Amino acid sequence: MSFEALRALIQGWAGAGLLPAGLTHGFLVNALLSGLVIGPVLGGLGTLVVTKRLAFFSEAVGHAALTGVAIGILVGEPYTGPYASLFGYCLLFALLVNYTRNRSNLTADTLIGVFLSVSLALGASLLLILASRVNIHILENVLFGSVLTVDDRDLTVLLVVALGVTALMLPLFNRLLLASFNPALARVRGVPVKGLDYLFIVLVTVVTVASVKIIGAILVGALLVIPAAAARVVASSLRGFFLLSVAFASVAAVAGILLPVQLALPVPSGGAIILAAGLLFLGALLARLFMKGEEG
Amino acid sequence: MTGPAILFDAVDLTLGRTVILDGVSLRVAAGTVHALVGPNGGGKSSLIRALLGQAPHRGTIRLDWPGDGPGTIAYVPQSVEFDRGLPLTVEDFLAVLCQRRPAFLGPDRRMNYGAALDRVGMAGKARRRFGALSGGERQRVLLAQALIPAPDLIVLDEPMTALDEAGIAIFETLLAELSAAGTTVLWVEHDLAQVRRLATRVTGLNRRVLFDGAPLEMLSPERVFDLFSAVPRRTGAERIAS
Repeated sequence: MSFEALRALIQGWAGAGLLPAGLTHGFLVNALLSGLVIGPVLGGLGTLVVTKRLAFFSEAVGHAALTGVAIGILVGEPYTGPYASLFGYCLLFALLVNYTRNRSNLTADTLIGVFLSVSLALGASLLLILASRVNIHILENVLFGSVLTVDDRDLTVLLVVALGVTALMLPLFNRLLLASFNPALARVRGVPVKGLDYLFIVLVTVVTVASVKIIGAILVGALLVIPAAAARVVASSLRGFFLLSVAFASVAAVAGILLPVQLALPVPSGGAIILAAGLLFLGALLARLFMKGEEG
Repeated sequence: MTGPAILFDAVDLTLGRTVILDGVSLRVAAGTVHALVGPNGGGKSSLIRALLGQAPHRGTIRLDWPGDGPGTIAYVPQSVEFDRGLPLTVEDFLAVLCQRRPAFLGPDRRMNYGAALDRVGMAGKARRRFGALSGGERQRVLLAQALIPAPDLIVLDEPMTALDEAGIAIFETLLAELSAAGTTVLWVEHDLAQVRRLATRVTGLNRRVLFDGAPLEMLSPERVFDLFSAVPRRTGAERIAS
């Protein structure tokens, strides 16, 4: 089924009153589909990001997207989707951070802080240079995400990335986790620790970049971290951790896309998604406190 | 299949300008319990890392497997680094280590984690949170993972450090079972009394091999004193450099 047919089907259901009325708008259906595609992937990958203590890294990769967009516009890519520069720059940024991390005596957070600052400085400088070339307000969409600008091309990119990342993440899930517990034990078990380290960095980067359009460069890293953090607070097993994280990320994505439109709130989609995730995190914390109180 | 024999021949390992292992040569006979003893920093763990292919070294390390091909190698590290608050049960932990199916989908029943946990006295604790276990219990789980699948060579890096008396008894039984099954055991240990009782052979290592033979014969008070008090002699090149 093509996006066009799927969109028409959903719009039809919305017109018949089976779905929220806002979904009669094609742009909102696009945004919803992108949220449904990327939410579960971000939630699942997020469990590994949190376990491997790469939350700051995922934030940094998201912020690097800002510079990627600036470079894309500079080299003449369409400002609505400069994917070549986005993927190219963010992958370069992530691989460089990881390469340097393995070869410097700096702690990961210090190193990421250095790279992030330099990258942001480069991005800000380029954007100021470009200010005369594009409507600078378009950049708000890049920073905070927008439901208005998701087109079929974006959906295709999201779908390809989501399927690719899922196809790699699921069979390698145990190995990716084991490598962070004890590299020596992992190697004895046949896990190529260094190779998987780089692969994981690439997976986080491509998912982050693909999600920039809907969540925004500033906030995209948060959807990798907050749902997984919320799930970690309340889960008692790995199964609960993973499934809750996927559920939280999906609910946050859908709620963040639909609620501002339904309630006519002037909030960007990225902001709304992360606020929804934040509320879920708060709920998880309260549930944890309540459970502790019941136990104690 | 019985375990392999291991040959270390003139193994050198240098990190930066520090010599960790200096011409280490020894042979671990197939199916024996071979202990490595020596002071902290004497190179025991480094020799193990070199054996497991995780430390760049010079010289030869060779595993002579009986039969057609290599068998199963298991490793029990001193500890694992992980977030203690992680929602990870003992069964989840074993699933992460031992199965291909994503651990969050649940344990692969064919792996029979219960039997391995039973062997280390952890039956009934499969659903306990791994991070909430005591150090000794975690060590027992690390022993359990090494039993899945049944190993032909098992490398133990100070496995008794955190064990209580019951845990030590379980470890002794396990070692006897492995030995009876023909598994080669290479065992780094600091408790010389246990080595005296349980090992078939012992090597004293302090950057180089200081002694190698039967434990009762080798672990005399004089030799032990020499092993733990002697500063390893420097090579001629080092003497010239200093």
